[in-house]
Amino acid sequence: MRKFYIFGLMVVGLVACKPNIEPTAPERGDADFSSYVAVGSSTTAGYMDGSLYLSGQRNSFPQMLAKQFETVGGGDFAQPLVPGEYGWPVAKKVLDYYQGPCDTLPYITSVDFKGALDTVGTANNIFAAGPYNNLGIPGIRTVDYLFRGYGALNPFARRFFSNPGGARPVDELLHIGHSFFTLWLGANDVLGFAVAGGNTPDPTKGITLNTPFRIAYDSVLNTLTRNGAKGVILTIPEVLSLPYFTTVPPKGLTLDADDANKLNLAYNGTQVHFDEGANYFVIADTNAPNNFRQIKPTEFVRLELPLDSVKCAGWGTIKPIPANYIIDEGEIAYIKNAVADFNSIIITLANKYQIPTTDINAYMRSIVEEGKTQYNGVNYSLQYASGGAISLDGIHLTGRGNALIANQIINTINQYYGSTINYVDVNSYSGVRIP
Amino acid sequence: MKKHFLLITSLLFSSMVFAGGYQLNLQGMRQLAMGGSGAAIPWDAATVFYNPGGMTSIRNFQAYASVNALMPSARYVDAPTGTDIVDTKQKTYTPFNVYITTPLGYKSPLSIGLGVYTPFGTGINWGNDWKGRYIIQEVQLQTIFFQPTLSYQLTDEISIGAGFVYATGNVELFRAIPTINANGQDGQAELTGNANGVGYNIGVHIKANDDVEFGFTYRSRVNMKVKRGYARFSNVPSSMTTSFANTAFTSELPMPQVATFGIGWHVNENLTLQAEANFVGWAAYDSLKFDYENNTALLNDTRSARRYKNTVALRLGMHYMFSDRFAGMLGTAYDPSPVRNGYLNPDLPDANRILATGGLSFKLTEKLSAIGVFEYVFAAEREGTSTEHGFTGKYKSSVINPGLAISYDF
Repeated sequence: MRKFYIFGLMVVGLVACKPNIEPTAPERGDADFSSYVAVGSSTTAGYMDGSLYLSGQRNSFPQMLAKQFETVGGGDFAQPLVPGEYGWPVAKKVLDYYQGPCDTLPYITSVDFKGALDTVGTANNIFAAGPYNNLGIPGIRTVDYLFRGYGALNPFARRFFSNPGGARPVDELLHIGHSFFTLWLGANDVLGFAVAGGNTPDPTKGITLNTPFRIAYDSVLNTLTRNGAKGVILTIPEVLSLPYFTTVPPKGLTLDADDANKLNLAYNGTQVHFDEGANYFVIADTNAPNNFRQIKPTEFVRLELPLDSVKCAGWGTIKPIPANYIIDEGEIAYIKNAVADFNSIIITLANKYQIPTTDINAYMRSIVEEGKTQYNGVNYSLQYASGGAISLDGIHLTGRGNALIANQIINTINQYYGSTINYVDVNSYSGVRIP
Repeated sequence: MKKHFLLITSLLFSSMVFAGGYQLNLQGMRQLAMGGSGAAIPWDAATVFYNPGGMTSIRNFQAYASVNALMPSARYVDAPTGTDIVDTKQKTYTPFNVYITTPLGYKSPLSIGLGVYTPFGTGINWGNDWKGRYIIQEVQLQTIFFQPTLSYQLTDEISIGAGFVYATGNVELFRAIPTINANGQDGQAELTGNANGVGYNIGVHIKANDDVEFGFTYRSRVNMKVKRGYARFSNVPSSMTTSFANTAFTSELPMPQVATFGIGWHVNENLTLQAEANFVGWAAYDSLKFDYENNTALLNDTRSARRYKNTVALRLGMHYMFSDRFAGMLGTAYDPSPVRNGYLNPDLPDANRILATGGLSFKLTEKLSAIGVFEYVFAAEREGTSTEHGFTGKYKSSVINPGLAISYDF
């Protein structure tokens, strides 16, 4: 009997000896996270892989922030979720094998998702089920916030605005009565121009002028801070370092000696010249002699360049690549200047309203310079697909890319508001699935 | 024969996160009960390990066997703040020792002996899905040293001993690969290999007078070389299987040199005190490299800096004879961590350790003795970062370790 007693004591002792440390609880600091709204465009909305779909929205950086805020007094976070995984209004992109008419072998590339069409009812207005904390609207420009009736034109806004046809987007920001906000606007004021390959007659795709940008941004910020709410403002990234612009190399044309000679004969008398090996594509340019020239090493080709046309129809060789697939030197300057101008306006206004900024532009530049950023043993880069951070549309972030942004925001919050919120576990969110 | 042996050793195996780096210090139960000290006084045949110079003091043929039941646990929590708690998977390890020693004849100054023991090992299993999975999921390292040994009595006071060490062992390591396949799963790498190396163990035993004894020992570094390990990859995207084709690899892990100075004091007929210092050459563990036979675009050789620093461990022990047949031991030790700040890696989240040990020995018959020992290891809570991986956390581990030895004098 006594033996049993001793044995029992030993077991108690063994259990008591296990390491029992607990993590230090995060603290909220000077900010009030009880009611958080996220204002922004496509990335804020959880748009990725070229579309809006349920698991994408669940991998949005505002959703991740809300989860971290829960540890410091944050409340519920409602998103205007779409019903399915197919993507809305178009199919999302996935990686799969593809064989074009001129390919001898199938290769892996981004293609439209072929799963079940589960988007029925997505277009219905769901304002009544709100209010929503995530107010991200894919495609919205800063200037659109002062445009009455914008909600009727943008299908994403139309879904959850209280008065899509009659209100200005800026009027839809206060349904929640927030105590904290994130604001990431401005990318679409320049991106539309960039993804259209430069000059375009469509006014919504031109670059926003500085003055209307400042007025609209000021108005949004004024509205968000009106009730004394605090927040974080994000600068916009240098869009031309995104894989949408950097994946197709300007010198992407590989020729053997025979083909190079034939092409040189055909282009005899022009400044176009080919060598055996890698060559610069021939592109259309109305300012060049004969309306074509070879692309310069500093210029960009859009990710959406139809490769079948390159392979089958001789785009880039016997036929110049149309100008709308090319961002030429002049257009690059416009885009870079606009990003710099917008960011300087954003920072000026942030100072005016005493809201801290997370410099996403500087963060992305550091990733470009170092070639990667690391989280818990995994390297992320801006490489298309393999980099893990950018989704298959080449512009928007994957879940893990969103998490990297969330951690940058948490850095700012902790520094500025004296909070001790812990980082998002980047590697637990969605990345790029490879077949 | 060899197969048979492997079967036995796989049942009785040692390894764990323990005692400064991956050094185990469990080579004798009476010595373990005294904080792991044993260089100065040749208590029993375990002196083959603790001080080969002491073997001549054992004046008959003695066979000795012991086994431990090591139960380590470690916990990771988010740092500096957070909510995540990860406990390692429980596993009980059974390191063992077998020694024989005998003088070559009555009054012969020469003794011979053999030790088979498990001085180094490590094992930790965080599970497949934890947040550090791309750094480490599970690692197990096991070693067995075989040490044939000679000892010679130079004078009444001084004896010396030397043993040749042949070491064999194996390593098994799992980590996730940051690829996501069509089903949304991580890839996984499994690296396994057998390792071996050679070294030596020498010692001097000095019996200064009836009350005081000294021991000096030096155990050489043993480089455990994996000459042909196997790397297997699973769950990688099917389009990447050629880049992650199974391949052989080579690697190497140093078992560090240890120099020991020990002193023993017979205070009176019943009470003995002993103390020792171990100088452990952990600086030998500078980096961990894996050199794959077939490199591909996605599979490069790896070199992970460890930069361990040399340490000095201090041990104290007390031995009290309650009667001719019955003795009690108590001990403690301070074993500082060789891991520098910035290199705190979840595959061996080491911290400074304090040992509390105690044991009882009982002479069952004139020839047969049994020793029971219990050890508890307190590891300091340690917060730190593996700079290489950008991985930060706070760790704490502890070890519960009962052990049992039997010795027989022929």
